[in-house]
Amino acid sequence: MSTKSAASHYVEAAIWLIVVAFLFLQTFNFNQEIEIYRYGASSWPRAILLLMAVAAIGQLIFNRTRASRYEMGEIAKAMDESPEESEGTNANTGLKWYLHTALLLALPFVYINLPKLLAGTNDVGSPELNRYKLIVAAIVVVVFMLLAWRNRVGAVLTLPVLFAAMLQDLGFYALAPAFILGVMFLMGERRAGWMGSVMLGIYGILLLLFVVILYVGLPTGYVRPFYDFGTWVVTVLQ
Amino acid sequence: MLKKLLLSASVTAAATLLSAGPVFAACATDSLPGSLEGPGGYPERALTMIVPYGPAGGSGQVAQAMAEAVTELTKVSINRDHKPGGSGTVGMTAYMAAPADGYSVLEHIDDASSAHALDSGRPNPADDLIPLVTSQITFSQIYIRTEEDRFTDWDSFVEWVKAQGGKASIANVSKEGSMERVTMRFITDATGMEIQQISFDKGAPRYGALAGGQVDALFEQPGDVRNFLDAGKFKPILTILKESPSAFADVPNLTDAGLDFEPLLRFRGFYVHKDAPAERVEWLKWAFQKAYCEPSYQAYNESKFMTLIDSYRDTAGSQELITSTIGQYRDVYKAMGLEVK
Amino acid sequence: MEVLNNFLGGTVTLFSDPVGILIFFGGVVGGMLFGAIPGVSMLTLAAILLPFTAHLSPEHGIMLFSVIYCTGVYGGAITAILFNIPGAPENAPTAFDGYPMTQKGQAGKAVGAAVMCSAIGGSVSCVIMMIATAPIADWAISAFGPPEIFALVFFGLAVAASVGAKTFWKGWLSILIGLMIAVVGLDPVGGIERYDFDMPYLLAGIHFIPMILGFFAVSEVFVQAEKKVTGAYKAPKLSVDFPSFRELWAHKIAVVRSIIIGFFCGILPGIGATLAAFMGYNEAVRWSKDRMEFGKGKLEGVISSETANNSATGAAMIPLLALGLPGGALTAMMVGVFQMHDMEPGPLVFINSPDLVWVVFAAMFFANVSIIFIGFLETKTIINLLRIPFQFLAPMILLLATVGAYAVRGLPIDVLVMFIAGVGGFFLRRSGYSVAGIVLGLILGKIGEQTFAQAMQMLHFEFSGYLERPIALGLLIAGFMTLLASVYGAFFKTQPVANKPAEETANT
Repeated sequence: MSTKSAASHYVEAAIWLIVVAFLFLQTFNFNQEIEIYRYGASSWPRAILLLMAVAAIGQLIFNRTRASRYEMGEIAKAMDESPEESEGTNANTGLKWYLHTALLLALPFVYINLPKLLAGTNDVGSPELNRYKLIVAAIVVVVFMLLAWRNRVGAVLTLPVLFAAMLQDLGFYALAPAFILGVMFLMGERRAGWMGSVMLGIYGILLLLFVVILYVGLPTGYVRPFYDFGTWVVTVLQ
Repeated sequence: MLKKLLLSASVTAAATLLSAGPVFAACATDSLPGSLEGPGGYPERALTMIVPYGPAGGSGQVAQAMAEAVTELTKVSINRDHKPGGSGTVGMTAYMAAPADGYSVLEHIDDASSAHALDSGRPNPADDLIPLVTSQITFSQIYIRTEEDRFTDWDSFVEWVKAQGGKASIANVSKEGSMERVTMRFITDATGMEIQQISFDKGAPRYGALAGGQVDALFEQPGDVRNFLDAGKFKPILTILKESPSAFADVPNLTDAGLDFEPLLRFRGFYVHKDAPAERVEWLKWAFQKAYCEPSYQAYNESKFMTLIDSYRDTAGSQELITSTIGQYRDVYKAMGLEVK
Repeated sequence: MEVLNNFLGGTVTLFSDPVGILIFFGGVVGGMLFGAIPGVSMLTLAAILLPFTAHLSPEHGIMLFSVIYCTGVYGGAITAILFNIPGAPENAPTAFDGYPMTQKGQAGKAVGAAVMCSAIGGSVSCVIMMIATAPIADWAISAFGPPEIFALVFFGLAVAASVGAKTFWKGWLSILIGLMIAVVGLDPVGGIERYDFDMPYLLAGIHFIPMILGFFAVSEVFVQAEKKVTGAYKAPKLSVDFPSFRELWAHKIAVVRSIIIGFFCGILPGIGATLAAFMGYNEAVRWSKDRMEFGKGKLEGVISSETANNSATGAAMIPLLALGLPGGALTAMMVGVFQMHDMEPGPLVFINSPDLVWVVFAAMFFANVSIIFIGFLETKTIINLLRIPFQFLAPMILLLATVGAYAVRGLPIDVLVMFIAGVGGFFLRRSGYSVAGIVLGLILGKIGEQTFAQAMQMLHFEFSGYLERPIALGLLIAGFMTLLASVYGAFFKTQPVANKPAEETANT
């Protein structure tokens, strides 16, 4: 980043303006009048979006004038100097890595949306939808494991998001042990005995603390058989 | 010193006990059996009650009081799961997604009815759900500060507001089409006065605005501002009912004030999935209706001014209340020019 | 004299009851522990305990929460210093200098300063609270309406943008992202659905607690995990070398300044300790001779932030107890405790239950004092958490954060939001935008839009109405001045914006 080129300034500004334009168009969906409030529901977000556009353009002009006033690169170095990256620990900055990570990060959203499309219904009670959910979940997990092999950092970023995406359907109680093992594995732990006992330790502490001592209604999952497993754990412990 | 403190503490405790003491009057569900065997060992584990509002508000409190009363009665524990947000929409969505096995119930208020009236894609609490019991029905009032000297009662208030030419203000909730905002619309239309409503989505800042003189009046239900009433900080100047309840006999009602519209009520109740097994639903109906008459629940209702008008409806009564409420809102929304889907 | 008598009475009641003593110490230790365990905060503890307070007496319930409040605000500093994970937003500025100190091997010094300053700030504000609650409350409730609160929010945002990020532009863009995130959900005037993308759960809006957990706790885990995976992970150095009295005495002016700032920020409903900490920190930078040293591990940064946020705790009790207006998430939960006992905080509490008020006041005072003793002991234990191998600590942190995010509203989408924010924070840290700025924009955006709307309704949609409200006008002018000063700094100084500590946090 310390050799941030002129092009990247333009790209950054362009991304800002595209996001602003998209969100601005969305405001027409709720551009409703409110009887007791003259400015309605959309003035506030529009004002913020306007300021965003101003700031994004301002940043671009600022960066360009700075760049022309000084030797290119020198000021950028002064501005962007960050101790972290000068140590060179970030091997994971190349375009290829970003694309691969984006692919991984898309998996949770595949899980969220695909079953609905396949089942052709969003009726949460339908057994068909639940069956598709289980199938897609299995496929997504396998694809995740295959991709994770090649991009460990991307996998670390994706695993929690995937966990969260499945949380409502499959429940905390069934997913947590797998999640604990997954995080340890991705961080390079390979000793099976350690992993097993640490997993049981963390899971046990969490269950003891949040289910036995203080009842926090963690999600039990809505899809059978995960629902049955979740409610079984809670019933046994309570 | 210590003794004095302990003594005063125990006196306070005793006074609390007395005021919340047993209710001797006959209760709506006295005729139901005192105990009922669930079908096939049901319920064999704790029930979950989804509450689409936070634990501290009116819904959170009634959910707690009802859950405790049901547990007292049946020894079945109930875990409350608060899912606030979106004026009750979020909790409703989460409840509709939960398996309909009779182990989860829902608390909801009249907002579910008005939401369905505006958008029939939203669940109809009388059709898509089975009402177990409606356990709180209450009315609204208009409040001013007790020490207010620019006006002292409803008539002088209306006169003063008209003299301000639209600059007078009243604190109200922040949801268009809600019971509160629709009722204010009725009032301004009927009196011909122009008053700026200030929208507050939370209760405490709304009451603080009146106490601190930021607004001239407040729209609220009596149970929510009981402490301010008891402390003599606020006083009601209009009861939005056709007949005054005895506790507010000296406050003018709609008839006294010459306002001709059907008052909208605030009601809170408990529901179960319509697809839940029928026998389990019967047991839940019994448990929740019977629990309404548990002394602890009755004491709670009394402390919240919920005994001033009949607060109880069974399943059929709730369905009737909900259906007529939906019809009422639908007419109002059409008259207001809102798009009814 | 009456105050002293009441205080003694409260003390006697507190310590003459074994259950009370147990709850008191439970709260002190619990607040510190939950504040200090990465990924959870005192809010998690409070959310979990809320249903259980129904089984306690009202005195004990409120006392427990107020003790957790005092010690939790301190406890959050420990994780801010050791792991760059502020236990709560009010500890965020503590991490600006505290975490660099840990990396330099001065963790003990930073924690020690946090212990001392939290105790001092908290105790002093407790004393002021006891003396001033009634009169200040009366003044604030009538002097601070929506226009004033909006003006204060504006001022707060202007300040935060100028401390936030790598450049002036990135600072403001970060704040604006936060403001836009706050727009999601129902609008605060008409309940109109905005940016819900047909997902009903988004109607609840995006809560700041999952965002904070994601941006701070989760993304920090990601950064460490990346180092672990690429083999660049270095365990933080340990030290338990506490600061000397002389070192602290050298910063007496910073302490007094932060006490005053913290107290005045804390007293305002809805603003509270977060702005207090940012303001305390920012003023320390502004008044300092060597401001470029801030953000690189300067003791004064930790001192001014920690003094200010603990000083806000006592102040926040004033609007809560006197007016029933909670200033933040934890005080809002206290309202819940009151209501579980069929009470409402507000003017009535002073009339009906003076005993309760004074037991709570006494408990808060002693909780702050006990931070010194228990804090040192506990710190020596907690610092050892750093010895746990990170691959074992990481799943624990992530799952505790999951429970923390879920417990707030019971919505699985909050867990998703948290982890997405974690991924977002991971990339934003590489870009020079300020995650602290986004969070502050989100918190203040909700209050800001609502109070702006209320203010305009009250002023009949005429901006000139502000001319008749001197306090609001003053705050608006102060906000514009801050803004102009930072614009000046951005355009006419050759060096980057001076006050840029968040960048260091963001990049380390």
